[in-house]
Amino acid sequence: MTDPTAGVQVAETTEGRQHFSDEPTGRRDKAIEGRSPLQIALSRLVKDKLAMVCAAVVLFFILVALFAPMITSALGVSTDVVRSCDVLECNAANPGVGYPKTGPPFYGFDAEHPLGLAPRTGADNLAHWVEGCRTSLLIAGSATLIASLVGIVLGLTAGFAGGVVDKIISFVTDFFLTIPFLLAALTIAPIVIERYSTGDSYATAQKVSLIGVLALFGWMGVARLIRGEVLSLREREFILAARVVGMPIHRIMLRELLPNLTAPIVISVSLMLPAFVAAEAGLAFLGIGVTGSPSWGQTISKAVPYWSNYSLYLIEPMLGVVLLVLSLNLLGDAIRDALDPKTRR
Amino acid sequence: MFAYVVKRLLSGVVVLFLVSMTIFLVFWYGPQEPAQVVCDRQTSNRCGERIELYRENLGYNNAWYEEYGTFLKGIAVGRDIKFGNRELSCAAPCLGRSYLNDAPVWEEMKTRMPATFSVAIGGAALYLLLGIPIGIAAARRRGTLADKALVSSFLVISSIPYYLFALLVWLFLTISWEIPLFAETGYFPLTDNPAKWFSGLFLAWIALGVFGCTSYTRYTRGSMVEVLGEDYIRTAKAKGLASTKVVYKHGLRSALVPVVTIFGIDFGTLLAGTIFTEQIFDIEGIGRWALNAVYQRDLPVVAATALFGATILIISNLIVDVVYSILDPRVRFS
Repeated sequence: MTDPTAGVQVAETTEGRQHFSDEPTGRRDKAIEGRSPLQIALSRLVKDKLAMVCAAVVLFFILVALFAPMITSALGVSTDVVRSCDVLECNAANPGVGYPKTGPPFYGFDAEHPLGLAPRTGADNLAHWVEGCRTSLLIAGSATLIASLVGIVLGLTAGFAGGVVDKIISFVTDFFLTIPFLLAALTIAPIVIERYSTGDSYATAQKVSLIGVLALFGWMGVARLIRGEVLSLREREFILAARVVGMPIHRIMLRELLPNLTAPIVISVSLMLPAFVAAEAGLAFLGIGVTGSPSWGQTISKAVPYWSNYSLYLIEPMLGVVLLVLSLNLLGDAIRDALDPKTRR
Repeated sequence: MFAYVVKRLLSGVVVLFLVSMTIFLVFWYGPQEPAQVVCDRQTSNRCGERIELYRENLGYNNAWYEEYGTFLKGIAVGRDIKFGNRELSCAAPCLGRSYLNDAPVWEEMKTRMPATFSVAIGGAALYLLLGIPIGIAAARRRGTLADKALVSSFLVISSIPYYLFALLVWLFLTISWEIPLFAETGYFPLTDNPAKWFSGLFLAWIALGVFGCTSYTRYTRGSMVEVLGEDYIRTAKAKGLASTKVVYKHGLRSALVPVVTIFGIDFGTLLAGTIFTEQIFDIEGIGRWALNAVYQRDLPVVAATALFGATILIISNLIVDVVYSILDPRVRFS
């Protein structure tokens, strides 16, 4: 009853039952298992080689993000600024700050700083990269969680309640869609800076407000999608049956509607995450995102002037963003194809 | 039809009103001390007690709705703005004066608009010119190796964040390989020197065009594949029309309807936010201006650019809805 879309499951279990009634006492060697649509999609996904490679890359990034402090201490690297002539090139005219004495094109790699150092500050690039990965996934992950929760709740309510509630929620959704995201982020950035720039909690305030901005302008897609699905589901027989037996509305929403919305939710979440990773790095690149703690986007914008002479500095964070966003996107695409074979390219 | 347009126009005005109010409120309640920037500047960072005077004269001591009324009145007929003891006039449409250099925001915006419009129009033209023909070609060769290679390589390009793509284009073509055509990116007025205008913006157009064409190829291909499967296309083929005529005359017309809609919205978004493009290619347009205003906490400029972006988006949505109703006769005006 809860799963009318599970055509395969229904077919397979009825078949099993027929067998069962044919041989009431006989035990079948190999029982035919009913598989839910999600299981079918999962088995399809596992067969997709590109998707598996992408999943491995994503898993790598998640592990790096989770264990970032342990990785940096195990490798003995830190994000601290080391302005000394031991690691940076010095000359008499301009003491202290120059290109690092490690990494191409002028020096070889060394084991102590495998990814080189940052010019002028002497901070370790590997430590920055690992911490940047943590920042990126922390912000994108939290924003995805909040945005999809808000989107699901509003979409479910709008679609199921209909009438005035639907009209109001749809208007708010359309209203938010007319506000350009980048400009909104730009608008909110100076206010956060204005308010917290002198306080100790600046770095945290920055992260929280960034998550807030991303979530605030990310929920509309999910809400619209869910609303559309609910509109078509709520007229179906199983919902009618649930209403007739007097199931409370919140139970209908959670137990009857939500399981049928798994596919659109999984798809939209898997495509929201890379968009937020890209947005976080993009805002940091413009200097209005995370500036208080290490972030890939911030390193990219700092490294642009060093492209010709110390390209390593720029390539590393760029590779991080591109690899993570690319594999998340391709994985999201593969998940969509697996869940809905009709959209197969 | 007329009633529909009027209705959409009215709802557009309501949304614009709400957006402007939201922006105004955000700047009213957001900063701890909005008058600080202008006070610091005029007293050479010895603001101290004098902040009260600035707050009073900028209207921050009044109720927000009163000041919002003043702001709207300023847009309609102009108003005077007091920075401390100095009273500055601000002609209609008054979006305020910059906290950093007293310049009227609207005047500055007008001088920067051509740059932003040049970038957006050139980029959009390029991605349509590339995307639609490639999409049609892919749809006609659907299922072949070339089609598959094209679709997957475009999927990869469109999965990379745009600003990194643009940054890489600039780093390689301008900095590393020093291609003379792209040596000096930036905006140079068209009327002064058309050749320089073109070469300054060409790289930005290429970045926007190549990146944007990937999604247009996808839309066009998808829509074309669907249309080519229709019965009337089979009829056209059966009566012996040349295949180019079938595709371009019968197929393209209906295949382009959804593409035009997406293009309208995209173009609005592009106009409203070419921030990355302008920042990377050193183009002094509205996006870069907004960004610099953010760095220097020049609130009137940030508010004005946000309002500009929202207005452009609302207008482009409006145009899309109306054009769509003309292109697709099945849309009902109710």
